[in-house]
Amino acid sequence: MTAALTLEGVNKRYGGFHAVRDLSFQVGKGSICGFLGPNGAGKTSTIRMILGLQPATSGRIEILGADDGRRVRDRIGFLPEERGLYKKMTPVDAIAFFGALKGVPLGEGRRRAREMLEQQGLGGASRKKMKELSKGMAQKVQLIAAVVHRPEFVILDEPFSGLDPVNQQGLEQMIRGLAADGATVLFSTHVMQHAERLCDKVVLLARGRKAFEGTVDEAKATSRRFLELEGAIDPAQAAGLPGVSGVEVISEHDGVRVLKAALGPGGRGQEALKAAFLGGLDVRRFDLREPSLHDAFIDLTGDNPDQDQSVKPAGQEAAR
Amino acid sequence: MNRTLLIARREYAAYAKTVGFWLSLLAFPLFAVLGGAVPILIKSSEPVRAVAVVEEGPQASGLAAAIRDALGRDAERQQEIQRRASEAAEKATGMPAGGPGAAQGAFARLSGPRLRIVETPAAIAAAAPGEARDDAVRRYLTDETPKADRLDAVVFLTRDAEGPAARVWTARATDDTVEDFVRDALRSANRKAVFEGAGIDPAVVENAEKFRPTISVFSPQSASGGEVGLRDKLPTLIGMAGGFLLWSLIITGASILLNSVMEEKSNKILEVLLSSASPMEILTGKVLGVALLTITVLIGWGGIGAAGLVSFAPETAGMIGDILLTGGMLGWFAAFMIGGYLMYAVLFAAIGAFCETPRDAQTLMGPIMMILVIPIMTMSMAMTTPDASAVKILSWVPFFTPFLMMARLPSDPPMLELVGAMAGMFAFALFMVWLSGRAFRAGALSDVKLSWKSFAGAIRGGGN
Repeated sequence: MTAALTLEGVNKRYGGFHAVRDLSFQVGKGSICGFLGPNGAGKTSTIRMILGLQPATSGRIEILGADDGRRVRDRIGFLPEERGLYKKMTPVDAIAFFGALKGVPLGEGRRRAREMLEQQGLGGASRKKMKELSKGMAQKVQLIAAVVHRPEFVILDEPFSGLDPVNQQGLEQMIRGLAADGATVLFSTHVMQHAERLCDKVVLLARGRKAFEGTVDEAKATSRRFLELEGAIDPAQAAGLPGVSGVEVISEHDGVRVLKAALGPGGRGQEALKAAFLGGLDVRRFDLREPSLHDAFIDLTGDNPDQDQSVKPAGQEAAR
Repeated sequence: MNRTLLIARREYAAYAKTVGFWLSLLAFPLFAVLGGAVPILIKSSEPVRAVAVVEEGPQASGLAAAIRDALGRDAERQQEIQRRASEAAEKATGMPAGGPGAAQGAFARLSGPRLRIVETPAAIAAAAPGEARDDAVRRYLTDETPKADRLDAVVFLTRDAEGPAARVWTARATDDTVEDFVRDALRSANRKAVFEGAGIDPAVVENAEKFRPTISVFSPQSASGGEVGLRDKLPTLIGMAGGFLLWSLIITGASILLNSVMEEKSNKILEVLLSSASPMEILTGKVLGVALLTITVLIGWGGIGAAGLVSFAPETAGMIGDILLTGGMLGWFAAFMIGGYLMYAVLFAAIGAFCETPRDAQTLMGPIMMILVIPIMTMSMAMTTPDASAVKILSWVPFFTPFLMMARLPSDPPMLELVGAMAGMFAFALFMVWLSGRAFRAGALSDVKLSWKSFAGAIRGGGN
């Protein structure tokens, strides 16, 4: 797949603070790539460098064939992390204005705005002022404003933050729609579930460094699966089951234990269970737990993606 | 449409579409008219005070007559002022002589009598001097007496060893109109008595009292080369007004820009704009949009002022037009406006890019506003003594050049000084555009708390 975005050995320093370290990854044309990491991991700094809003301290960035995002800004759509539109403008005027900045004539921008608002169920709100819209509605309007010029590359910084589950689902549909129309989507988030559902590829970032680049399945495969067993089972017996690489006692009450048996590489849960039943182990309850992207992140980085890593050195802006 | 013009258009429309903008545009001329009309209204609505005058004892004989004479002379003097005002108004407006013009009416209302002497009520006149008479007076000054018979003041005249004296009872303790009038009248009566005592003819004394000198002012700089008229004073007044107008417009425009950028920063719109346009395009667009607003305000104020002048004082309007156009003052005004606005607008916009609330901006705006008071204080000096060293030096400081040079313009400063200061102002304005562009770019994406240190750091780093 041809790369729409390439980063090679990118570094970003703010004075003495090293926000992004030796970052390299690629995003293929027409794919949805999740840029994952806790707050403060360096995602926003990287996005700003990709857009050309901030220069990289070192390294190379190529987006849509240009070595500076500013040269292809009309082909990029951007939704920033903290969102806002002109409060006194109507959604149609706001969308048309941002579209015009990207080269769409105002009249055409208004026509597209009405059409897209209608598609998103916001036709009734098109004449209201932005300040009269709910947060979810305003966020949809802002996403429309970011893509009204039909960009080839869409960058969304924490697009799901602050949205209720219904609106999150709607936004996921919009992102899928963009990719279906041929756009490349890079979105940052610290909520792994969205990435798990949406992404063809993920890049995991922690403390400014890349921890992983690949598909969601590849990321999950790096994490261990567990077989949870409950009953009067000796941990040593559980450890002897085929494919089990280690056992941890979660709880114990009146001789009944809950055990977490980690499956080693290539280990299959069904075989371990079959052996447990054939061996006469007192298994009263079992559960085969597949690792989530969240688990994979923790395994790969040693960090919790929900934990804030923001560092604000004196006199410098926070690396987000 | 290119990005700069799009941003300028949005910026202009954001304000021009609001009712508040047009109300504030009309507010200035409205308040200017009110500012002039309110004193007239207050004066004209002042009641003519009813005053009773009582001579206490034979030694006070003649003092009541002196008060009446003073009142008569005052009325004559007011009529003379009215006549002169009427003449001046006729001259300025070109209205036919004898017509009851607005100015004449206003002066008539302003210069009407402030008090009238009424007959002393019998209860006061008949009361025995002392406590009984004072009690009677109290009743006539308060609502114990029906409104029609009530008095505003009662004056008891007497004469002691030093000369005429008076006790003034007044309905309102804070109203000193009667007190002042009686003091002047008694001083005049005493002067007359002293002169007469010295053997001077009373008619001579009276003529001397009435005498009012006629003074004419001449200057080689006047248009006629002789007597100084309104036409000669107008350029200085226009220069001064131009300086204040520039200050007001520039600071208003720059403040609008500061608030606009601050709002976009707090709403996170700046970041979206930066992904669509360069910092310089955004800055230029915003500066241009607010400049158009400022021009709209200027045209609005100018139009209202011109319409008012042409309607009520066409001759003065003609003179002002002549000075503005033939003297090149309008051209200089435009040049100072452009340079001054550019300097302050980009600086305020750059500060706004670091702030999310007006409180954030206070750190830098406080000292800047203090500096901006300097030209206001110096402008009046520039009018009366345009060659003062302080004025000359300060008008070379680019931040003050637009206002002070505008105020100095009517005194014909050397062309070298004028052109040099203007060149310096434009060079500095360009430097400010460069400097503020860097600060704007850094500030727009920065989360740091604004301080002189962070601002200087941003300029050095330019957001990199």
